[in-house]
Amino acid sequence: MNSIEYILFITFIGAGLTFIVHHALPKLRDTLAILVSALDLYFVIQAISEKSKVVLSIADFHLIWKTTPYNNLFAVLIAVLGFLTILYAHDFMSSKDRLGYFYMNFLFALGGMYGIVYSQDFISLFFFWEIMTWASFLLVIYCCKDAQPIGLKYFVFSAIGAYSLLIAIVMLYSLSGNLELTNLISNFSNFSVSNQLIVVTLLLLGFGVKSAIMPLHVWAPGAYFISPSPFTALFSGALSKMGIFGIGLVLFKFAAQSGYFSYVQIILAWIGGITALLATFYAIFQTDAKKLLAYSSIGQLGYIIIGLAIGTPLSIASALFLTILHAAFKAMLFMATGAVYFRTGTTDMNSVSGLIRKMPFSFITALFGIITVSGVPPLGGFAAKWMLYESLIQSRHYFLVIVVFAASTAAFLYLYRFIFSLFLGQEEKEWEDVKEAPLLMVIPMLILSAFVLVVGVFPGLILDPISQSMNYLGNFNFNYETSVLFNEWGNQVDMQTVVNTIGAVFLIVGLIITFKGFKKTRYVSTKDIHTSGEIPQENENLTYAVDFYKPFERAIAPILKSSIDKIYTGIANNLEQAFDYLRYVYTGNGQTYAMYVVFFLSLLILFAELIFGINL
Amino acid sequence: MEINWSTILGIIFTPIIAFIVGVTYGGLTRVITARVQNRYGPPIFQNLLDIIKLYSKESNINHGVMQHLGPVFAITASVTTLFFVPVIKDSTVFTNFSFHGDLIFLLYIMVFGSLGMALGAGQTGNPNSAIGVSRGLSQLVGYEVPFVMALVAIMIQFQTTNLNDLLAVQDHFTKWIIFQSPFAFLAAILAFLGMMGYAPFDVVIAPAEIASGPPSEFGGKYLGLMLTSRSIFTFAKLVLFTDIFLGGASDFITLLIKTFILYMIPVLTGIVFPRYRTEQSIRFFWSWPLFFGIIAILVVVF
Repeated sequence: MNSIEYILFITFIGAGLTFIVHHALPKLRDTLAILVSALDLYFVIQAISEKSKVVLSIADFHLIWKTTPYNNLFAVLIAVLGFLTILYAHDFMSSKDRLGYFYMNFLFALGGMYGIVYSQDFISLFFFWEIMTWASFLLVIYCCKDAQPIGLKYFVFSAIGAYSLLIAIVMLYSLSGNLELTNLISNFSNFSVSNQLIVVTLLLLGFGVKSAIMPLHVWAPGAYFISPSPFTALFSGALSKMGIFGIGLVLFKFAAQSGYFSYVQIILAWIGGITALLATFYAIFQTDAKKLLAYSSIGQLGYIIIGLAIGTPLSIASALFLTILHAAFKAMLFMATGAVYFRTGTTDMNSVSGLIRKMPFSFITALFGIITVSGVPPLGGFAAKWMLYESLIQSRHYFLVIVVFAASTAAFLYLYRFIFSLFLGQEEKEWEDVKEAPLLMVIPMLILSAFVLVVGVFPGLILDPISQSMNYLGNFNFNYETSVLFNEWGNQVDMQTVVNTIGAVFLIVGLIITFKGFKKTRYVSTKDIHTSGEIPQENENLTYAVDFYKPFERAIAPILKSSIDKIYTGIANNLEQAFDYLRYVYTGNGQTYAMYVVFFLSLLILFAELIFGINL
Repeated sequence: MEINWSTILGIIFTPIIAFIVGVTYGGLTRVITARVQNRYGPPIFQNLLDIIKLYSKESNINHGVMQHLGPVFAITASVTTLFFVPVIKDSTVFTNFSFHGDLIFLLYIMVFGSLGMALGAGQTGNPNSAIGVSRGLSQLVGYEVPFVMALVAIMIQFQTTNLNDLLAVQDHFTKWIIFQSPFAFLAAILAFLGMMGYAPFDVVIAPAEIASGPPSEFGGKYLGLMLTSRSIFTFAKLVLFTDIFLGGASDFITLLIKTFILYMIPVLTGIVFPRYRTEQSIRFFWSWPLFFGIIAILVVVF
């Protein structure tokens, strides 16, 4: 057996085993899940050097799994994130029930993702796509009864995506008689233009649902909000990236061959831009930390879509860079929020506040997370944003770059609100006894924090595998060094100099300010503040959290009025009425149905010649 | 990056000069404001004296690590911004690291300080600070958009994102970018009003309303550090605008003249205008400045 076989075998058998073990030996269940994900990680790395390939022939269909540089990039992302989230889940889920169900679906989702990225044919891709969708659906509805409508929404949109994928796959098969990726790619230019466009649109639609691009995003805020935090980290970090994986493949392997590619590019780029901007605006006004992060996640995927759609080497590099980075920082933020939830039982930003001194490690993780999202140097987010802006400007997308910039500046608002509401602000008596999250939850968070720091200083470390996978996607070359980024005009940003400067100034000033009369200062509580001479009482509420951005809301009120979700709800309500009329047809009376059958048969016989070309 | 004597001299002297110039400009502002209001006003070096006094004071209390580090974040951003802007054109000493970073980097490092400060202000738990931060960040979104439009127009026009290349383009005063793309300048200078935080865009600190907002819990050495940072940052922003639009400066006298003229725009505007509410100032930035920004980009494209 080679590595890919091991990965799929171990994950799926492991998923089944955890479910069985849960009933027999509950204590072994978590260890087994961690072991499975660790083994996956090992074999994913093995597979890179091994160049594994698996071919399975069933009834003249060849199912192929193979490693390519592009696949490996995503496989490593899934494996690392899968391992860390399962590690995190051990303590987080410890007080929950139905853990066999949880871990089984978790591992099924992982296995589905491995299957998707290694697939080299559309049958196995679709098969694993459905496994992943089902497993994630079952985890979305894991928590409680409230999850039902949210799960339904997720399911309906996943179904829309799956059907468009299926139709595209059937079309591809009927056009070329083959479903192997390599064959399809070489045959694609022979299809008629309209067929090319339909296939590309359907595939983009199918993959777009998972990556939650607007207007297909409405399932995401609810689904991210309601699913348990360890899975949310994987959901937003890795699962949504499967859409990106597919979109990258479709764009550069298929769409690039068609004459309409530039139109597809510009439409997709603008969809990404609008997604980024609107999702950011929605994120600003959320009151729940997880919902805020969910909208933020949608927005970040918008940037990735833009990067892919622009299609210059630098923009694709930024998209893939952000793909990896988003997996890291969104997992960090969801984990930190999860840690807060674990200790306080809520993620409502209006009620939790002032946890910084109680949960320092979660705070550091959240801080690193928001710095990375905001794109402020010296952490990794800066390199991604820099490459995106430069490529947008140099490919002459003047107004799109403004939209992107407005979105990422507005992102400061929700990021600050996130960290301020949970960790800073007044230290309320209610949260006096809160402690730091358990060690096994803190370790994954700190590993990811270290990762974004290292990537910020040496972006070249992950630009190496990225440039390899870009060479697989097409002939894309761009210039970079381990810590220096270049744009297409030859201007540079030297991260080493930047980090040295920031570090040196920060250290010098920090040390001076610390040692200047440090011993004489004492810590005072957050009630001991300047309040124009009034002394705040012990029970007086000084927290400023509700309607944090009211002035901004007033300023952009016109934009927020319309919501795509409302339109969908309107359609759904209208459909419900329409289906009411259908009740007159389905009377529930057997004789009526028999009459329908007779009626239908007579119609068939009447029009037999027209439909089947035969004369009865 | 090779280290030699001119680099070291630049690293040592640029912040010192920036601080002295910034502090003096601050003092001058107070005098000018006073004269407009028919008062005598404090001496020009009052701000410097204030800062010295603040440093010599003993601080008795702190609100925790982030509050302690907030002003450090602010000054880190100010000094780093300064180091990546060429202060004197073609000088070996005062170009510092400007070849290793570009305009987009500067855009981001400029907000680094405000965000660090916001975190520090957040930990104090003072509701006034939080209100100030909320207003400040909202206003930031307002003025960054026209500012970026102006920069994008310039970057496209001259096919570079590096300040030194922009300086090289403006080798004669007729070629200053203020004349080459006036609409970009208009958009940028209106955004600059917001950036400097004088009236009508001083809702962030709003002295008589929210007790100076974010810095309200900072005193002694912390306030001293913040004022230092503010002086350096003012100078850095002025030099940045001089470099972009006014062709930079080859000696200190020219630099002082150009930066002073630029500085007087927000100061004199501030004296005669009352305060905008936050949503009003956002709407302002998204009306005329945005319009000028769009024109600037369209002019470049066609």
